[in-house]
Amino acid sequence: MSVDERSETIRFEFCGKPVEARAGDTVASALYRSGQRIFTRSFKYHRPRGLLCLSGKCPNCLMNVDGVPNVRACITPARAGMRVRHQNAYPSLENDWLAIAQRFDWLMPVGWYYKTMTYPSAWHAAEPYIRKIAGLGEPPPAGSEGGEYEHNYRHAEAAIIGGGPAGLQTAVELGSRGEQVMLIDDQPALGGHLRYSRNSGVAAAELIADLIGKVQKLSNVEVLQGCYCFGLYEGNLLGIVEPNPHPNAAERLIHLRTRRVVIATGAYEAPLLFRNNDLVGIMLSTAAQRLIRLHGVAHRVPDAGLLSQAGARLEWDGGKGAFVSVDLPSHVAAVGDVTGASFIAASRLPPEQVMASKRAFVCLCTDVSSKDLQDAIAEGFDHIETLKRYTTATMGPCQGRMCQLSAISVCAHETQRSMGATGTTTSRPPNPSVTLGALAGARHHPTRRTPMHYEHDALGAVWMDMGEWKRPRFYKTQTNSEEKACVEEEYRAVRERVGLIDVSTLGKLDFKGRDCGKLLDKVYAGRLSDLRPDRVRYAVLCDEAGIMLDDGTVSRLADDQYFITTTTGNLEFVEQWLEWWLVGTGWDVHITNMTGGVAAVNLAGPKARDVLAKLTSCGLDTKAFPYMACRRAEVAGVQALLMRIGFVGETGWEIHFPAEAGAYLWRTLLDAGREFDIRPFAVEAQRLLRLEKKHVIVGVDTDALTNPFEAGMGWVSKLDKEDFIGRAALRRLSGEELKQILAGFIMNEEALPEDGAAILVNGRLAGRVTSARYSPVNRKAVGLAWVPAELARPGAEIDVRVGGRLARAHITQQAFYDPEGARLRM
Amino acid sequence: MSFLLRCPHCGDRSVYEFRFGGEVKQRPAPDAPEAAWVDYTYTKANVAGVQKEWWYHRSGCRQWMIAARNTITNEVLETLFPER
Repeated sequence: MSVDERSETIRFEFCGKPVEARAGDTVASALYRSGQRIFTRSFKYHRPRGLLCLSGKCPNCLMNVDGVPNVRACITPARAGMRVRHQNAYPSLENDWLAIAQRFDWLMPVGWYYKTMTYPSAWHAAEPYIRKIAGLGEPPPAGSEGGEYEHNYRHAEAAIIGGGPAGLQTAVELGSRGEQVMLIDDQPALGGHLRYSRNSGVAAAELIADLIGKVQKLSNVEVLQGCYCFGLYEGNLLGIVEPNPHPNAAERLIHLRTRRVVIATGAYEAPLLFRNNDLVGIMLSTAAQRLIRLHGVAHRVPDAGLLSQAGARLEWDGGKGAFVSVDLPSHVAAVGDVTGASFIAASRLPPEQVMASKRAFVCLCTDVSSKDLQDAIAEGFDHIETLKRYTTATMGPCQGRMCQLSAISVCAHETQRSMGATGTTTSRPPNPSVTLGALAGARHHPTRRTPMHYEHDALGAVWMDMGEWKRPRFYKTQTNSEEKACVEEEYRAVRERVGLIDVSTLGKLDFKGRDCGKLLDKVYAGRLSDLRPDRVRYAVLCDEAGIMLDDGTVSRLADDQYFITTTTGNLEFVEQWLEWWLVGTGWDVHITNMTGGVAAVNLAGPKARDVLAKLTSCGLDTKAFPYMACRRAEVAGVQALLMRIGFVGETGWEIHFPAEAGAYLWRTLLDAGREFDIRPFAVEAQRLLRLEKKHVIVGVDTDALTNPFEAGMGWVSKLDKEDFIGRAALRRLSGEELKQILAGFIMNEEALPEDGAAILVNGRLAGRVTSARYSPVNRKAVGLAWVPAELARPGAEIDVRVGGRLARAHITQQAFYDPEGARLRM
Repeated sequence: MSFLLRCPHCGDRSVYEFRFGGEVKQRPAPDAPEAAWVDYTYTKANVAGVQKEWWYHRSGCRQWMIAARNTITNEVLETLFPER
């Protein structure tokens, strides 16, 4: 498609001014016709730059289009209403204040950063200014309404990259054989160089029209027009970007998996090195042809980036004057000019005086001149890969397309090596560059809500995120919305009357089969095979190094059935861990993840029994239903599993029941509890309640190196079991002296340390706080902390850093509340 | 990393559907010397070449399998469910 002069014009905006464009125009061609000559300012020296390649390969026309920075204007079709802005220049492209940088090029020699910023203080002082000036383009401001990005997964038997004559010919051949083919072309229309080259003539036009006609007739050949392939990854995965796939999406990233890849990316012209070779108006001959033929042969380089990504080796061919790809992997083929087959060598090296010029630009992206390369080589960076990293040549937006050949020839000349011996730099994806939006895809965050979610909402829940789950942190009341006061009210309800908390986020696994006891004995540190039906036991999971992975309750429902809870965040891991140890054993165990299908609440407090008794016929007195027992019974007509356990330290029942009854039973329990002044309580109050009982939360109070002995929970592992995961390590650890211990502490004064606060002993860092809360019972802050083992004795004094000062605290052995656990057994 | 793994249930699938489970190792007997346990727990062969390793098909059949993978090329030569 070339510009049709009879077609109607459209308008877009360039820096606030209207610009006319015709059908077939790109942003760059329309701007050029409107008289614009400077398209960008260079990276370092802010030299004016104009159109150079007109094929999306150089950095000279990067602009901001509709808020997206670094858009290649020369291959972006003009659309009505688009807003185009220049970048890297202020106030305008024609008059850029930072152009003054050109006069100070002597201040910025090659390796400037490394030579100047040799002290951290110098860098910290200069950083804010450098960050302001350096870089290309600005990211869209946070929260700005950009288009959506989407991902798309496709499969094909063959993918052809490049819609020039070679690509089209291959598409026709493979398509006629019945193969499912995808043809990817990054230009506005098919035809490649035959669309514009001067000597192509009528015959070429007919050839192209014929090939395009054939391709269009083949229903098994799909053409992705205006889409660019930025990477060829292992397993023949191609990364392809489709701009503006539909009005609601900015870009679509296509993950194309294919059996074979045919690379027909052709060749392009690379700029020559001469003084002021970057001036506006100097453009590649192919660019001029494109401007003339489409919108209104010198040094050719095979476009072999994808081939080298595929693992091909690049070898210098002196006769062709080009690096050609050899040793292609079997699933990748190359056709057309990308093979370099039709190339004829041209003289390459520029004369000495040009080589030593600060104004002969090798790298247009980051303003690296031939003189910079010479200096770098003189400084010892004479290998092409180190030269690249030191000077940043080939590392800009063009990824070496414009500059690699020049850089290699300067390096070869200066080091008196051949082009072949000098070699090439490594091409890696993405090339060309890809927006972060396209890689990230749609803005979609999965959220899990418990069956009682909207009940909590109605009760004034203030939410917190726990992995994918939403959990109430505390509830606002009609009289109070301040967190501290609300949490304390919830706390008092549980300690003095009765409270209800939604614990549906707990991981829940059902175990069925003859050998469940065997598996649990093998994987958990405790003994579970001898657990009697209708009883519950606390259990800890360790790895082979004896490190605590998770904890939870294990209820035995029947001889061949157990029900296990895991912490909210560890469910997936625990399920996979148990399944893994089951593989190959031949044991009769079936593990079912019940988490989403089962709701759970904890009803706790001195009046919990009175509330529950109104809704169930199950005997609830301590004789009929003792602490650490479980029963299956109906609660308000809902089949439920009741466990008498006490994470918060009061008489209470954890009730598990079908998720569909979640909201109903929640409401029914609150209604039944109204006469006892029941309150819903949430995560913050629960954390305070459990902390007063010194109940450890695995993953909060413990970390990736904690074993049960240090955590004061050595009793959970039964070392006399003949084998279990972690037994060897735990046996060894049981005989070793502990270095640090998780101990409880009470502050001596009014001060509340943050979780993670440092602990000092005699002015030296000795440990850290894992959890700390104000305890209403103790009228002081209490907490858990890692302290050196010799300090873990009652009464030992420690200093805790609180808000920049040190506050005194002392260690306690017992729980902060009801150390005998009498309230749990009432 | 974008290679395919052939799940014995689900066929060729992207590696992103799987969770890596580490090298396949022989767990020592309970009464094995401490050195054997330390070696099993902390040492990895880290083979440059074909290695047998565990993979879990997390976004598919949710089964553990063993794959023989060339760690240099990421070519997966074989996948199987271990004997039951």
